[in-house]
Amino acid sequence: MLDKFKATFREEALELLSQLEDTLLELESQPLNGELINAAFRAIHTIKGSSSMFGYDSVSKFTHEVETVLDKCRNGELPITKDFIGLTLKARDHIRILLDREGPPEPPIAEEGESLLQRFRDFAQGGPGPRPAKAGRGAEGAGGGSPSAAPAADAEAESATYRVVLKPKPEIFRNGTRVLNLVQELAELGQAGVFPHTESIPPLEELDPERCYCSWDVLLTTDKGTNAIRDVFIFVDDLVELGIEPVAEQLAAEGGRRLGEILVERGAVSAEDLRQALGSQKRLGEVLVEKNIVSRPQVESALVEQEHLKKVQERAETSVGSIRVASDKLDALVDLVGELVTLQARLSRTSFDLKDGPLSSIAEQYERLISQLRDNTMSIRMLPIGSTFNKFRRVVRDLSLELGKEAELLTEGAETELDKTVIEKLGDPLVHIIRNSLDHGIELPAKREAAGKPRAGHILLAARHSGAYVLIQVSDDGKGLDRDAILAKAIERGIVSPGQDLSDAEAYQLIFAPGFSTAKVVTQVSGRGVGMDVVKREIDSLGGSVQLASEAGKGMTVTLKIPLTLAIIEGLLVRIDKEFYVVPLSSVDGCIEIPKEELAAKGERKIISYRDELVPYVDLRTFFESGGEEPSIQQIVIAAAQDSRVGFIVDQVVGDYQTVIKPLGRMYKDVEGVSGATILGDGRVALILDVNRLAQVVQREGLRRNSAAGA
Amino acid sequence: MVDKAAPLRDELLAALDASDAIILDLSLVEDIDLACLQVLYAAARSASARAKRLRFQGTVPARVAKRLAASGLSRGSSDRAEDLEASLVDFTA
Repeated sequence: MLDKFKATFREEALELLSQLEDTLLELESQPLNGELINAAFRAIHTIKGSSSMFGYDSVSKFTHEVETVLDKCRNGELPITKDFIGLTLKARDHIRILLDREGPPEPPIAEEGESLLQRFRDFAQGGPGPRPAKAGRGAEGAGGGSPSAAPAADAEAESATYRVVLKPKPEIFRNGTRVLNLVQELAELGQAGVFPHTESIPPLEELDPERCYCSWDVLLTTDKGTNAIRDVFIFVDDLVELGIEPVAEQLAAEGGRRLGEILVERGAVSAEDLRQALGSQKRLGEVLVEKNIVSRPQVESALVEQEHLKKVQERAETSVGSIRVASDKLDALVDLVGELVTLQARLSRTSFDLKDGPLSSIAEQYERLISQLRDNTMSIRMLPIGSTFNKFRRVVRDLSLELGKEAELLTEGAETELDKTVIEKLGDPLVHIIRNSLDHGIELPAKREAAGKPRAGHILLAARHSGAYVLIQVSDDGKGLDRDAILAKAIERGIVSPGQDLSDAEAYQLIFAPGFSTAKVVTQVSGRGVGMDVVKREIDSLGGSVQLASEAGKGMTVTLKIPLTLAIIEGLLVRIDKEFYVVPLSSVDGCIEIPKEELAAKGERKIISYRDELVPYVDLRTFFESGGEEPSIQQIVIAAAQDSRVGFIVDQVVGDYQTVIKPLGRMYKDVEGVSGATILGDGRVALILDVNRLAQVVQREGLRRNSAAGA
Repeated sequence: MVDKAAPLRDELLAALDASDAIILDLSLVEDIDLACLQVLYAAARSASARAKRLRFQGTVPARVAKRLAASGLSRGSSDRAEDLEASLVDFTA
């Protein structure tokens, strides 16, 4: 049981650390942003609190000292300098290391922690705080700011009134939480009207002494903002339901309704009376007026207010709208849905064969539901790619320091969603690409200035949807790819022969060759010949593609095209003789019919005209060496490949088909033109066509024919 | 604090069974938290259900008074424990 809590704690702590990293990096560019330093403080504060609760003493001891310094920064006693950010980032990494081991850390790690803490202490001493600045490291801190550079949020914050609904969970006492202290702390944030609800406390005989029966409504006027309110409950986050709602605007706009609040405040009506009355409005009004406690309009406005309060509480309840699920459970769910999709195909097939009316109507409904189930399941696995972006920001920061370069990572489309597994597999390739850009692309600051560019280079990481694909672009404003250097290197490595004539695009592709690197000096980062070939391989394994564009002196762009998901796709089922194939529907452009004779007349020139465009085609019967007789009218499926169109001649287009992708296994990894397989409704296997590869085959053949014709 | 709530409950329950009036001296209470306060509320409810009495006496320590006032539970400002009975929100039926 405890292990389970520990696992949750670790998971949450890791999440907090990644948020912290993000926050710190942002803080580096906006050191006066009070919100950011508050967020950093909160993250450390929470880690400290929960780590001590779960016995990670080394973590809590370490974070405690970091927190002390952060708190000083938060109060404006210490300036936020670049050094400080660097130090805190290192501390973050150290916490990460500590989290990986329970119990006391090994001596070298403990030493490192101690030296980090010493630097924190030095920093705290050196800051221009109320204490006299000591000599030595003092100068370092003094440059950044003065005590008056307090977090901007505090200075600018205006006083606002919040309605805070605080409902401790019944089990809140179990871990020793002192609820009254919390309420007091909350009330002391500003001017507060505090309304406890004690009415659910039962008589002594029924009382469970370990259960909390009380809740609070607090009207709080404070200039500290909602974060300060949340901070009070930071350790008991999951043990209280907290609703915070600003009320200032409502007071102004609906001044009259405030009466209800006053009614409760003065004790004229208890909240419980009101709640009962909500069930029988008429009666409450009568009773109260009869008893002469309040006048009719007062009751009415109280009711409105109470209803409003209820809504606020409901909203607070629904805001707990997400749950944490282990990712292998999701994987299992997707597998099961995949099986269901396959089974559904069999059902549709069977009902079609039986020509049974009622059965086919069931099958149709079933199909609709399954496709919704599939879409829902897939959407659960979708994550915004932005969740990985902060990792890259850190890479750029650390690496540019190391290389003596100045660079900034800009991101676009962080909200673009991609399948979880795809995102996980994208991490390493993207790191490689970004490192490559920094190492080879972005020039040293002096060189950039000489070239009339800003000292700091920019790397743009952009993601966007494009049909069933996501395009991820990494562009830099560095020197671009050096075609001649690439060619020279490739010749030296024997990848191309000296006389070979290559187009720019072909030359650029060479950097993806295994063992290729143009860096003259082997840096720690790149230049060891691992990198871009790994990128290419991993992107290929995702069913994606890599493209390069470069302009000398202006920079280069790497574009990754990645399929949204790896598990289930919509496909177009086609037939050749007795064999079935699936073309991914996302790449299908259209279908045309063509009589056998017309095809025969074209002979070797395998090109047709489609929408005023000449499209090469491939006869899949020949390609896959299928037997059988061609039908008198054949179909051509036009598909869009990477940068061109290609046609496939098939016997029959069967229809669209939800395809659960099954890998073919090692034995078939060299089969050209096929990317996977799927199981059909009747249990047979259909191959999934790899449109990009087939298009390349067609182009290659076309070139060969042309050169043969020219010779 | 929390672990004191259960014994306090048992003690008060026994006292309620044994006598008609319970008098609690608050002078020596160092601090109070919700768990124990709930027990006092519950005791007051049981007492009034059984037509018995629960009363406070002594001086309410400043810390306790402040805590109760800040959390909205007490509306009075007197440090006399007898007054606290009346000023505790919803305490007496």
